[in-house]
Amino acid sequence: MAVGVAGTAAQAEWQDPNDVLQKLLEAQPDSKYLHQSEMNIMMMPDNPALWLLDDGERLFYEERGPNNASLESCDFGKGEGVLDGAYVELPRYFEDTGKVMDFEMRLVHCMKEIQGFTDDDSAVSQRHGSGSDIMRLTTYIAHQSSGYAWNPPLDHPKEKAMRDAGEVLFFRRGGAMDFNCAACHGSSGKQIRASVLPEMRNSQEWTKAVSWPAHRAGQDNVRSQNHRIRGCVWQMRHAGILPDTPVNTALISYWNDAARGEPAILPDLKR
Amino acid sequence: MFNKNTVAAGVAAFASVALAAGCAVADGNKADDVDITAMSAEELAEHLIFETNSWRDQEMQEGGGWRDRMTQDEIQKACSFDSTRNDLDGETAGKVVALAREQYQAPEGDIELGDWRKGAELADSGYGYRIGHNVDDHGTREQGGNCYNCHVMDSSVSVQGTIGPNLENYGAQRGDSQEIRQYVHQVISNPHQYFPCGEMPRFQGLLTEEQISHIMAYLLDPESPVNNR
Repeated sequence: MAVGVAGTAAQAEWQDPNDVLQKLLEAQPDSKYLHQSEMNIMMMPDNPALWLLDDGERLFYEERGPNNASLESCDFGKGEGVLDGAYVELPRYFEDTGKVMDFEMRLVHCMKEIQGFTDDDSAVSQRHGSGSDIMRLTTYIAHQSSGYAWNPPLDHPKEKAMRDAGEVLFFRRGGAMDFNCAACHGSSGKQIRASVLPEMRNSQEWTKAVSWPAHRAGQDNVRSQNHRIRGCVWQMRHAGILPDTPVNTALISYWNDAARGEPAILPDLKR
Repeated sequence: MFNKNTVAAGVAAFASVALAAGCAVADGNKADDVDITAMSAEELAEHLIFETNSWRDQEMQEGGGWRDRMTQDEIQKACSFDSTRNDLDGETAGKVVALAREQYQAPEGDIELGDWRKGAELADSGYGYRIGHNVDDHGTREQGGNCYNCHVMDSSVSVQGTIGPNLENYGAQRGDSQEIRQYVHQVISNPHQYFPCGEMPRFQGLLTEEQISHIMAYLLDPESPVNNR
């Protein structure tokens, strides 16, 4: 399949998520995955995920939590408070924790360390749903990277190790029904029931596939990459995956690397 | 039932990794844990699955816990490669076919077909064996066959997957002899006997023999809508 939109690979400036999507649709007129929902394509300029942006921005700058602090001193990898292009360069290694962290893991880390929230606070314990602080913050922060090309760093040996382990996990058959991720994402244009599946080798399908947060029309909620992993693992009949665990991080490292060079749609709208 | 390795085998395989790194407990959440860069990608993947508290502590529908569910058996191990990039090599194919034949339990005597109407319901049902934030309770609803997730069988049924081959008129084209019934039973029970490292689950153990007989009727009974397309 085609690799890279001519002239737009390694995009390093902000683009409206709908513009990013339209270019991908033009570049891949025969992709059943990208074109599967005319309704969602039509709705994209009015993506309900955009409604979370204002709340997310307010939550980011508001002095909150037991420490009465904003998240402006949180470093997502490009410096304290720097959000432009930060989301597409995760997961990455963080010196202060000594480990590779995915976006949600890092956000929760900052909410705990800087703002003083604990696991008992709904601000960090509630991970899913458009009404959760986590999803509002995720949507706002990710939106600052819309149109930037996925570019998770692999310079640190731990970043490379986690990406490579993620690849092994992607192909590891297991669970009650012997599935691996590739059973559904290894070939193009296939369906499970009504859902046309993205292929991980087609980076232009894959950038849309990994472009979370996205409003899921069928669930009427904005969802995260971690929520997608939880749903896949559940359907695959593996065990129940927990949040903030490195299995998530490794898989996301592989996912985002597989979309490398293609612009992210942030936030996206999915079926 | 499940032909899984014992829990002990899974633990033993990773104890060496933890020992080599000089650390008894590795929760993966601290910088002074095991050195993940000293492991191969395969070792690290197993470490992440088994040593980092990544799974909910729940009892699986088939019994056992997450560790049993996530421990690979020999077929799963042999088939954990990138089949979209590499063709299955002959040696692995032969090994997987042999393992599958060894696991497979043939019914005694002639194979009788069940009720195709029940088979239709089972083929349509994607219930069963899901665990985690929502748990499929086999006590309140029987597990299904998931067939329509991947196969077209009766195209008048709403929406149908295309990961597996189209099975419309399966019995109409092949007849309903004991030989065909034996073959279909083998494929549903343990498809690796004919399609090594294919995507289809092994249903012997996931479904009861009675449920399999209903699904076979749905595929082979001349009265079934599958054979009247």
